[in-house]
Amino acid sequence: MTPAPAAVRATAAPERRDLDTRTEAALFRRVRLTEARAHLRRLLGQARLRTLLVVTLSLFFWCGLFALFYLGFQFLSTGIAAPGYPFHTKTVEFVFHLFFASLNLMLIFSSGIILYGGLFASPETRYLLTTPARDERVVLHKFQEAVLFSSWGFFLLASPLTIAYGLSVDAPWSYYALILPLILSFVYIPCALGAICCLLLIYKLAHVRLTVLAAIAAVSFGAAVAAVWDAVGATRTQVFDDRFFNDTINRFSFTRGELLPSSWLSDALIDAAQQPPPIPMPLGETPVVRAVMCLLLLFTNSLMARLILKAVAQRTFRTAFSQMECRPRRARRGKTALVDRVAEAVLHPFPPQVRLLLLKDWRLLRRDPVQWSQFLIFFGLLGLYFLNVDQFRVTAGDIDRATWVNLVSFLNLAVVGLILSTFTTRFIYPMLSLEGRRFWVLGLMPVSRETIVWSKFVFAALGSWAPCAALILVSDLMLRVSALVIGVHQLTTVLLCVGLAALAVGLGAIMPDFREASPSKIAAGFGGTLNLVLSAIYIILVVTLTALPCHFKLIADSASINPDWLPTRYLDLWLVLGAGLAVAVGMVATIVPLTRGVRAFSRLEFD
Amino acid sequence: MIEFRGVTRSYGDTLAVRGLDLVIPSGELFAMLGHNGAGKTTTIKMLVGLLRPGAGQVLVEGRDVVSQAREAAKQIGYVPDQPYLYEKLSGREFLQFVAEMHGMSRSEAGRAIDREISRFGLGRFADELSESYSHGMKQRTVFAAALLHDPPVLVVDEPLVGLDPHSIRLVKDLLRERVDAGASVFMSTHTLAAAEEVADRVGVMQQGQVIFLGTVEEMRRLHPARDMTLERLYLTLVGGEVGGVSSREAAEQADAGSAARPQRGAQQASERVAPIDSPGPLEPPNPLQPPNPVEPPSPVENQP
Repeated sequence: MTPAPAAVRATAAPERRDLDTRTEAALFRRVRLTEARAHLRRLLGQARLRTLLVVTLSLFFWCGLFALFYLGFQFLSTGIAAPGYPFHTKTVEFVFHLFFASLNLMLIFSSGIILYGGLFASPETRYLLTTPARDERVVLHKFQEAVLFSSWGFFLLASPLTIAYGLSVDAPWSYYALILPLILSFVYIPCALGAICCLLLIYKLAHVRLTVLAAIAAVSFGAAVAAVWDAVGATRTQVFDDRFFNDTINRFSFTRGELLPSSWLSDALIDAAQQPPPIPMPLGETPVVRAVMCLLLLFTNSLMARLILKAVAQRTFRTAFSQMECRPRRARRGKTALVDRVAEAVLHPFPPQVRLLLLKDWRLLRRDPVQWSQFLIFFGLLGLYFLNVDQFRVTAGDIDRATWVNLVSFLNLAVVGLILSTFTTRFIYPMLSLEGRRFWVLGLMPVSRETIVWSKFVFAALGSWAPCAALILVSDLMLRVSALVIGVHQLTTVLLCVGLAALAVGLGAIMPDFREASPSKIAAGFGGTLNLVLSAIYIILVVTLTALPCHFKLIADSASINPDWLPTRYLDLWLVLGAGLAVAVGMVATIVPLTRGVRAFSRLEFD
Repeated sequence: MIEFRGVTRSYGDTLAVRGLDLVIPSGELFAMLGHNGAGKTTTIKMLVGLLRPGAGQVLVEGRDVVSQAREAAKQIGYVPDQPYLYEKLSGREFLQFVAEMHGMSRSEAGRAIDREISRFGLGRFADELSESYSHGMKQRTVFAAALLHDPPVLVVDEPLVGLDPHSIRLVKDLLRERVDAGASVFMSTHTLAAAEEVADRVGVMQQGQVIFLGTVEEMRRLHPARDMTLERLYLTLVGGEVGGVSSREAAEQADAGSAARPQRGAQQASERVAPIDSPGPLEPPNPLQPPNPVEPPSPVENQP
């Protein structure tokens, strides 16, 4: 450091030009671009595996959706009614309006929630509010992020849908040219609405914001469930008859409201996909002009939404921020709940040190809703699906029962494994890195590092096994599979839970990141990505090894399958061999990363 | 100049700042002392525009921080206790952003950035992304950003935490230099030795109220003949009452007499420290009305 230069005059800030709004916007844009470029350089330079994985999986997902939508529209054209016929038109209108109206609502919620985090819980906002930046500029700056993060899923869903529809009806080129501007103009409106709601909610009701949000979400969810229940609750004989079709369309007529932006988007897409009229007609009635008019309607409304957002931000943001900062805070008290006592009793057989570490991790998990709520949502949704899975069996009368049921049951098993692998990557993998940050706590206690690693493994394996085993059992019971399949599934579940826990803990110990405080960022690094990839490979391997022999044995028993190519005398042997191989793979996947992890963690030096 | 006029702010039922009246004239370095939860950070947040006063007014160079938030922000250089930098920007890019935000032209910004980079020894790191900076480096960069636009008011929250001795010296010299140039400096700190060394005046906050305002000498005169350090004086003054106070407790205190509460705290603390410093117990000091024959220190609201 050099000595300070001569004293400067500081009796009043020098009069400088006031930054006009355009220059201010350009300045923020430049910062964002510079940040984005640096981020991209880092992704391509240091996180190639993760980037490649994300791009590949996104493409895979996109292609899968495209195929699904294309086949659906093809089925509609060939199996129901050709394009131009009333049934075809009504069905497409129904699908488009329902799809975009649902996403309209979701965009309002997601952009509001994301903007809430960006504005009221962000160090950047806190910093920007101490600068001469205009309040509305700060809001618009964070709103851009909210739009991006809340709408990428929308693009991922809407783009294959619209392109598949265009191809299925042989739409003109103008249709494809209009897709992007239509979607962009549409997305801005619900996002701005969500942002305005967020600001007004905090401005007026900061202290009850969670209650209000929960009430709105519950009402919306309830209405959606009631509508869906009404639609799918029909008896089998009613499904697909004319009356059911018309009733369903009428039931969801609220999605075709003329004031809904989703209706403007749907109408524009359907109009734009139509062929030019063979005979001349008034310009305003030609399909492509109607589509362009809808685009203008969406565009002008999105501009208006932006203006309103800006005005609301100008008047409310700083006060809302201050109210959020000064809201009454009630400190949470750490109490020993009944579940803690149950956990203590369950963990009694473990050595005292391991038990203490497990109880500590259990309390941290229990008191962190971010962790268990995600677990609850995903596994809850899976549970709902499994509870209703026999509906598929009932309506799948033309498919061979054994093939269908066993295929679905093993797919369910793989899905549980894949979801579990995302949890082990997100929550278990970073545990040792986070432990390293506070290593002075454990490091100064009479507990070996090996014990720390093993305790994390036991915590992850035990914690994941109970819900996974219960879910798989529910799936099997609903599908009414045989006892043999239930047994194989439960064995596979144990292998999956133990192997995935060992992979996450072992790799977390081998490649810890003590610099990063955020578990999500630790999980998003190279080690986390590698863990996700290895976990997926492991799941596919174990499920295939147990599922295939079991499946062959069951379909060989089925009378509808010709067993010539399945020598039945070897099927039991295959079953045992497959299970044995799966156990061997599971043991390798458990022992190798854990022993290596223990060794690496024991050698680690903490800064 | 900084002015707090009857400023009050509460967090729900907890009164964080109660009726704060304070003026810090140009050319003064003011150090605010107090326990954790005494109200120092809330005071700073109101000063820099992050919080709005529940009652009263905060003025920076005559600009109201609520109704003229942008104009007030232009007069302030703020160094928070937790420095914030854009991780994906280099130090130089961040400084460029701040300079232009304050309306500086590109060339003017370039000169100011070079000046601050040189002053804070950021040369080697200025073009690296700030995600790789240590806490000290981040703190220096934030200091540089706060001074780029040559503000007449500097607000620093715990400026010495996490700095090496060399940087601490630099910061102390810098603060004095700004004051000598005519700036008002508001510093919140727990580092009593630094406050004693550089501050022109200190204020002691407790449970949202300023219970002492004056120079270290004036505080010392409260306990003549004892030759106490600022640390011991401070501990004598604040006693053991920490954290905020609820509106009910505040009302009870008001009923019991507003001057009695600090005296009680001081009495307890005096009794605690008495055996170390002197053979007998201390007289309970009243910071607002010091005992004779000492010249009374300035009242809570000091006019320049």
